[in-house]
Amino acid sequence: MAETRPTLREHEAELVVASVTAVAEGVRELRLADQSGAGLPPWTPGAHVDLVLGGLVRQYSLCGDPTDASSYTVAVLREQESRGGSAFVHDQLAEGSRVTVRGPRNHFPLVSARSYRFIAGGIGITPLLPMIAEAEASGAEWHLTYGGRTRGSMAYTDLLAGYGERVTFAPADEVGLLDLDAILGCPGSDTLVYCCGPEPLLAAVEALCERAWPPGALHLERFAAKAAEAPATGERAFELVLAGSGVTLQVPPDKSVFDVIQDAGISVLGSCHEGICGTCEQAVLEGEVDHRDSVLNESEQAANDAMMVCVSRCLSDRLVLDL
Amino acid sequence: MQPTPAPLDQVDLADLDVFERGEAWGMFDTLRRDDPAHWTEEHDGGSGFWAVTRYDDIERIDKDPETFTSTKFTNLEEPPEEFQERRRSLLETDGPRHLAMRKLLMRDFSPAQLRRYEDFLRGLAALTVETALQQEEMDFVDAIAADYPIAVLARLLDTPDEMTSKLIGWGNEIIGFSDPEYARVLIGSEEAQQYRHLPFSSPVSQEIYEYGRTLAAERRDGDGEDLVSKLVNRVPEDGVPLTPEQFDNYFLLLIVAGNETTRQAISHSMKALIDNPDQLQWLRDNPDKTQVAVEEFLRYASPVYHFRRTATREVELHGKQIKAGDKVVMWFASGNRDEAKFEDPYALRLDRMPNDHMTFGKGPHTCMGSNLARFEMRILFETLLPRIADIEQTGELSRVRSNFVNGIKRFPVRIVSQ
Repeated sequence: MAETRPTLREHEAELVVASVTAVAEGVRELRLADQSGAGLPPWTPGAHVDLVLGGLVRQYSLCGDPTDASSYTVAVLREQESRGGSAFVHDQLAEGSRVTVRGPRNHFPLVSARSYRFIAGGIGITPLLPMIAEAEASGAEWHLTYGGRTRGSMAYTDLLAGYGERVTFAPADEVGLLDLDAILGCPGSDTLVYCCGPEPLLAAVEALCERAWPPGALHLERFAAKAAEAPATGERAFELVLAGSGVTLQVPPDKSVFDVIQDAGISVLGSCHEGICGTCEQAVLEGEVDHRDSVLNESEQAANDAMMVCVSRCLSDRLVLDL
Repeated sequence: MQPTPAPLDQVDLADLDVFERGEAWGMFDTLRRDDPAHWTEEHDGGSGFWAVTRYDDIERIDKDPETFTSTKFTNLEEPPEEFQERRRSLLETDGPRHLAMRKLLMRDFSPAQLRRYEDFLRGLAALTVETALQQEEMDFVDAIAADYPIAVLARLLDTPDEMTSKLIGWGNEIIGFSDPEYARVLIGSEEAQQYRHLPFSSPVSQEIYEYGRTLAAERRDGDGEDLVSKLVNRVPEDGVPLTPEQFDNYFLLLIVAGNETTRQAISHSMKALIDNPDQLQWLRDNPDKTQVAVEEFLRYASPVYHFRRTATREVELHGKQIKAGDKVVMWFASGNRDEAKFEDPYALRLDRMPNDHMTFGKGPHTCMGSNLARFEMRILFETLLPRIADIEQTGELSRVRSNFVNGIKRFPVRIVSQ
């Protein structure tokens, strides 16, 4: 019989950099092509992928054409305070480089509506590009306000200029900060707001929408960088505190949290040991969980208040469970 | 009780009479020993299937969706291509979309979340048991096993009480698709041809769809905590909302899967306790071990005989060449009696540990409701056993005519309460 292995992990493929294009000051567009011939998984506007960049994992929005199953397109800004991801893209990747790509995933889907207001800040334009194309194709009403430091720092302005009056460019050195009160004035009951950009912009839009817009109208995406990344090779050890039992244990790289708890003689239920069945869920009091299960959805994982101890681990040095 | 192994040339896992008589076990034993990948012809026009009966083989198949796909459907029936999308639920979906759909509700079935329902379950179990014990003579299935799981489901779906008997009837008809007593339209019959666009080729599926749509319309954009509200108001994490068809089939799955199998597990467990008085006594003496005992109940009961996969490429299994497109049937019930995995597999040993049974399947399609079933069973037996002074079976047990569900239709008992 053929070798068998569980295939619970999401799609992962090694893609080849087919082209690198400078699309603005400090912004490079990469087209990542599939050479296996098998085709890439489909995606919808708002989706992102993980790029594995020399031991780091970073998320980038897909900004190309969703109907193209042969390649993915991302645009990467060289961050001033880069922790290595964007610097790696700019300094190490060239045509012909191979990159491991995971996903795609979509936490920022375009929900169908009659009318949209898009607000982009800087590189936050990337997930909005395919959304705009879809909104346009569906015949929806839409308007984009696109802010940035300077016109030269803003990617895809030529492409967007083709949409005419539906797009307002707002480089800060020419017109100052975005006039959000005007952009978000007169809320529409069948209008959705999509926003992506730096944190201060997101926070301001969030505050305005909370006051004036119907609940659920605002959709925004944050790329909150994790405090630490799981190393691409090998697991890390961490301290495990079981608060209810008053025990402190060590989880070595080669053992699961579940096994460490059980070996300590503490009763813990488990069943599938693959992160599928949900039996071993434990409440998390402290520590940054490295979720690897197939039970919790994205927001449940982000809440960081529960984990499946059979497969999930910890990104910080100390994990405290209510057990 | 150890069955008599059937001669290999008489083994026929496509013969429903065998299952109605409860005689599949001897055939499983023969196949595990003599022909662990056994080609089986079907008698209803199906294309035939490979019967896989050993624990390890079943586990490997269930964990390898790339080679053994669910996307070609998972019962023996082969739905026509043109109806497959209409009928497809997460059972018949693989890969990232399958995971995203599971995660819509998966956590609602985790033990930590289910604990919220403990008081409700204890109250319901007590009510069910006290109502049943008003009489000494009863059909255990009707009086206890059927009502309890469906009432739990009704609570999770937040449907009104008057729907309960309707929900039970729907479950019976769907799961009993090959039993003339349950099914209005028998699968494989001429009449069923016009319903082939529906799950199980059953007109009942349409009724369930329509009820689901009514609930969805009422609850869309609300903030209800019930499963229907969550299903209509959540977007799977791949960002692709459920299509109307996907909602229909997800709802249907909740109704059917959350209903019938737990009932069968409860009936089989009670039967096993009556047949093994020493084990009944042990559990009465050790009520704190019920959680462990439930695992043995589940192994012993094996309420689902099989699920099907389809080979995506040629593979060899025990010297047999399985071709791409061949149906491959995982007989979980047989895996649960595999002597290579379980010592003395036909003995009910309530303290068996470890007890890594395959009642819920293995791999990515592992039963989503497994923890709910465990929880329901534990609470029911914790409630029921202290009330029983004496219990005996008073008549013939009758089984569902099916090689899919291992179901009990009637189970007459006399219970003297205390």
